[in-house]
Amino acid sequence: MKRNITLGVILALAPVSMVLAASNNVGCGVGSIIFKGQSGVAPQVLAVTTNGTLGNQTFGISSGTLGCATDGVVDTPAKVSMFIDTNMDKLAQDMSVGSGEALNSLADLIGIEDAAKARFFSMTKAHFGEIVSSDRVAALDVMASLNRLLAADQDLAIYARLG
Amino acid sequence: MRWMFRALCTLSVLCCTAVYASDEDYPSELVNIAHLQNLAATAQWRALLHYRTNALTSGVTGQADDAKFYLAADGKTNPQAELDATLRAFFAPAIVETDTTQHPQCRFVARYHWLKQALHFDAQRLPEQRCQRFSAWRAALQPDMLTLVFPAAYINNPSSMFGHTLLRVDGVGQDEQSRLLAYAINYAANPDGEGGVAFILKSLVGLYPGLFSISPYYVKVKEYSHLENRDIWEYQLNFTADEIERLLMHAWELGQVRFDYYFFDENCAYHLLSLFEAARPSLEFTRRFHGWVIPADTVRALAEQAGMVRKIVYRPADNTRLRFQLGQLNENEQDWVAALAAGERVADDPLFARQPSERQSVELEAAYKYLRHQYTAGDVDTGQSARRSRELLLARSRLPEARDSAVPPTPQVTPDRGHGTVRLALATGVENSLGVQEVKLRPAYHDLLDPQGGYTRGAQIDFMDVGLRLVEGSNRLELNELTLIDIYSLFPRDRFFHPVSWKISTGYTHVGAPGGDRIGLYRTQGGAGMAWALGDQVQVYGLANFTADISGALDKRYAVGGGPSFGLYANPVDAWQLHLVMQSQELRWGDRHREESATLEQSIAFGQQHAVRLSVRREHTWNSTWSTVMLGWHSYW
Repeated sequence: MKRNITLGVILALAPVSMVLAASNNVGCGVGSIIFKGQSGVAPQVLAVTTNGTLGNQTFGISSGTLGCATDGVVDTPAKVSMFIDTNMDKLAQDMSVGSGEALNSLADLIGIEDAAKARFFSMTKAHFGEIVSSDRVAALDVMASLNRLLAADQDLAIYARLG
Repeated sequence: MRWMFRALCTLSVLCCTAVYASDEDYPSELVNIAHLQNLAATAQWRALLHYRTNALTSGVTGQADDAKFYLAADGKTNPQAELDATLRAFFAPAIVETDTTQHPQCRFVARYHWLKQALHFDAQRLPEQRCQRFSAWRAALQPDMLTLVFPAAYINNPSSMFGHTLLRVDGVGQDEQSRLLAYAINYAANPDGEGGVAFILKSLVGLYPGLFSISPYYVKVKEYSHLENRDIWEYQLNFTADEIERLLMHAWELGQVRFDYYFFDENCAYHLLSLFEAARPSLEFTRRFHGWVIPADTVRALAEQAGMVRKIVYRPADNTRLRFQLGQLNENEQDWVAALAAGERVADDPLFARQPSERQSVELEAAYKYLRHQYTAGDVDTGQSARRSRELLLARSRLPEARDSAVPPTPQVTPDRGHGTVRLALATGVENSLGVQEVKLRPAYHDLLDPQGGYTRGAQIDFMDVGLRLVEGSNRLELNELTLIDIYSLFPRDRFFHPVSWKISTGYTHVGAPGGDRIGLYRTQGGAGMAWALGDQVQVYGLANFTADISGALDKRYAVGGGPSFGLYANPVDAWQLHLVMQSQELRWGDRHREESATLEQSIAFGQQHAVRLSVRREHTWNSTWSTVMLGWHSYW
């Protein structure tokens, strides 16, 4: 009896611990809020941006360990969170439609097999309101919601280990 | 007996010495064999060290401007010394790799592997080091294919006017729907936040350091597609697995090495070519370009190689998709888009819901994209737009359609097939009843009437256009004009987009003066205003301009003023374009006078590399009238 309770408690806490594990990636550029990107940049004449590095996700090759990238390549534990962080607006759009390049790429990063993708896409579309739960969600919130939804789905539960 | 013992001892000592000596001498042995094979003079060594033959003196100079790229003290100018030093460095004792240190075999992994193959390194005598960092990096990339990425010209940014090139490393298992997961290698200047004119001037003389960097491709796509709204062309290339390995090894070597950035000739496009040369030295691309390297030309050079380009993929920018999507809607539907984006109507509105689900989907998608565009442009309040964006997407998620409807068609002419950037013009005509012959040469780039294919419509960059004239009665070929730069950016406004159209030009030219003389002056002109489209083929525009002239022939040696100009820019049928400009300038300071002109220029293209141009101009300055008609032939290469 005691073992069952313990097991139950552990299983109940598992999704939470995944979320907590994910939160260790704070500081790797995962602080973006949805629908808030750079503003006022685009149409300026003689804009300051150059044909070069923009933002903090471009690294010198063989630059060593910086944040969650090693020599310019994103470390495996941070791949999903960094992708969501950079592409949140596009992801939101794709989820609301039910298909798209960003959403498909995310599916690949999570490791979802081709056969299961259609189910994943329709799941994110059906639960859009939960995933983008407010107009201020952060990448981590999106990841947590995806984790929860994946875990709750019979066929997709094996993918619920994001972060 | 004793002599035998002594002989045996001597022999064994000699043997030991012989073995000991050959391990000591292996570096020298390798150096000698390398000399015999003349490896320092090969194309591969030249490519790996970025040696370039000196223009004026004999010998070569390496283009890396960083001392740590060379192992020999004179490595920058002495390929042989550098090769010798490299071989000797491979024998350095094993070290523990850290973030900042690697064994020379790993830091110069491409050199190591090439020399190992060429000289058949004996692993017993030259132990091979394990390169953890390089192996991990390469393994993470899982390279399968190389793609040249070409974001189109971005006229609002001087450093991006001629486009850009970067290299994408496509991973195993990635396909057209997951290219975002690839990595992009990019060479760029590091201007420390400076931009605009300061950037242009300093980068002309190499005052900025440049570095190779790597980032997830999705970061680059966001920068170009979303922030700068530049269409991207992706050229998938046929490099062998070995060549890809060599390129990546060389990219690793270039990791932290500074190459000074020169706007014209040692820019992003040039350095990317040097990466390809390291993979396949026979390409010899860098030798082809002297004086200046324009990204589009390097794309052309690559595309011209037989069997090099596997596939060309068009990746339209966010605004290109949005414009296309809006173009698919009728006026009523556009009304909905505008109202939804502005928050004046909501998706719950019963009138909205009455439309077929498929129309609702398109309108919601367009409204969302438009709202994002307005946000990026700084035209809309942050808080409101975020709330509305979510609501629009939420409404969209309730509709069954599962495909994005904004898929613009791929333009017929790809950038590598557009007209060549160098233009030669030969023209003949009449000016105020005197015959005129003209020859003009322009090294770059594209004007409003050049054949359109492969270029952005409405974006003109004329650079260093030199015009010589022979006028009837005079037997001297005269410099008629020398345009340093002449930029036009004409983009029509509509209910959704409000770009500013503008122009700027500076250079030496002639204007008519009383008494049948034309006087030469240095003219700078600029203007800003608006353009509108009348249907698909015609644009009209109005600009408010300023003019500043400097010339010894002017009273007080200068004239400054301003005035309006109006234009009509049309493309009635595919190869036929015309541009009518009417301009009136009141020069109020310095040599006071009025200048009015009307010019109608037409062009008919024959393919992408040839065109006929007819120009008719009437000018009224200082109360004298000048009429000019010129008919010319343009060739591009």
